[in-house]
Amino acid sequence: MITFRDVHKQFGEREVLKGITFEVPEGQILFILGTSGTGKSVLLKNIVGLMQPTSGQILVDGTDVTRLSEEELFPVRRKCGMVFQHPALFDSLTIFENVAFGLRKHYPEYSAAQLAERVRECLSLVYLSGVEDKKPQAISYGMQKRVSLARTVAVNPRILLFDEPTTGLDPVTTRAINDLILELSRKLKTTSLVVSHDMQCALDIADQIIVLDMGEIVARGTPEELRKNPHPLVRDFLKEALDAETAS
Amino acid sequence: MLKPLLNVIDDIGECLIFLRLILRTAYRSPCTWESICEQTWKVSVQSTPTTALAGFFVGAIMTVQFTMQTKAFGALGYLGGLSTSATVREVGPLLIAFLLSGKVGAYTSAELGTMRVTEQIDAIRCLGANPIQEIILPRFLGIVISSFFLLAAGLIMSIFGGMLMGSVFSGINPEEYVRHIPTIVTQFSIGNGLFKCLVFALILASVCTYKGYSATGGAKGVGRAVVGTAVMTMVGIVVFDWFTSLLSETALNLFREGV
Repeated sequence: MITFRDVHKQFGEREVLKGITFEVPEGQILFILGTSGTGKSVLLKNIVGLMQPTSGQILVDGTDVTRLSEEELFPVRRKCGMVFQHPALFDSLTIFENVAFGLRKHYPEYSAAQLAERVRECLSLVYLSGVEDKKPQAISYGMQKRVSLARTVAVNPRILLFDEPTTGLDPVTTRAINDLILELSRKLKTTSLVVSHDMQCALDIADQIIVLDMGEIVARGTPEELRKNPHPLVRDFLKEALDAETAS
Repeated sequence: MLKPLLNVIDDIGECLIFLRLILRTAYRSPCTWESICEQTWKVSVQSTPTTALAGFFVGAIMTVQFTMQTKAFGALGYLGGLSTSATVREVGPLLIAFLLSGKVGAYTSAELGTMRVTEQIDAIRCLGANPIQEIILPRFLGIVISSFFLLAAGLIMSIFGGMLMGSVFSGINPEEYVRHIPTIVTQFSIGNGLFKCLVFALILASVCTYKGYSATGGAKGVGRAVVGTAVMTMVGIVVFDWFTSLLSETALNLFREGV
């Protein structure tokens, strides 16, 4: 379970998060929606200690991660898998080595055969095969995103964090990635937190949705509750989603 | 007026803190030998042709310059010893440092900067690994170790360059050229050259890894990191060249007085 308690984050004079409080129950998918620059990615990076909040508490399974040192954060990061906005694949390594990177750290007891088996298994989870020996730059951006997902799930995280997983992708790949998020979350029984602009996807697969504006939560609820929310930003997002639905 | 100066002091301080972090990681959780060898090999192979070529011409230049002085004093026989001594003590380490700064320093800071802005370094942290141990330490040690290999390659080539120029320009044969090298190039000269090489390599390795690792702001930030590396290493090398020269002379004087 992830709990945010009155979290503030300030960069110089600019306050990016203004007293964020919410909870993600175990096994649920929470979508965080908002326009660019509203602090969505900052919020996600605070969970794994890539950034630290100015004040407030963030609890991951009861552990306050806000004041932990880099070494103390290792067990928390072991639980959380993060898929970044960029594929963030190591370009000097092959796809196989990329997926195996976390496995070598967390499962040093794995034999070469076990490692290869697990890498293949994770790549097949994201519908990829035969790319193991290629370098990231030799495959498409959509495939790189899927490899990034495979690398994250390889170490069996109990919490999955997605930072705009479909940004920069075509509609077909976007749909495929969204389906994968739902499938992986259900199959692996993980708690998932997805930062996105995509209201349609949120309505389709989220258990809960939060809408952020200027660092504050302006709406929250289930997809059904969000459909009835009168907040102008929520209506704008819904209108866009409905337009896309009508067009398709 | 005061702000740029404070920025420079700030930069130097942060670089020193980063160096301490690297050394602490090397002590507490060292990286693998394979990764160090891989980086050493990469840097050495990348830079050997340029260093060898530059070394050859430096030897030739030194010989031409010293020919005039040695001829005036009727000491042409010492030409090889003098030009090799100058290369070993001063020009060699300085040249290697400048070449590495332009080539390896810029490459490393651009590579690390790109890894930073494309979130690869954050991904390493999220996968439970320590980026200093995984990517910084091997590169740092690779640059320091390969500096010595490159210095050796540059010096050997400078002797060849000097010998050739000695024959063509000064009219002394190769045997005569090398005869007085052991007389003038003492253990102290070699130690001095090696010490300078180590100091310059440490400056270069610290600055380029620090600048790359702390890059922010996309492609522009990577560009800034590369420029910052070039400026900071060049200035650092020149300042420390003066400092190490002073230190060596003081040490030599103390040694002579002791003897």
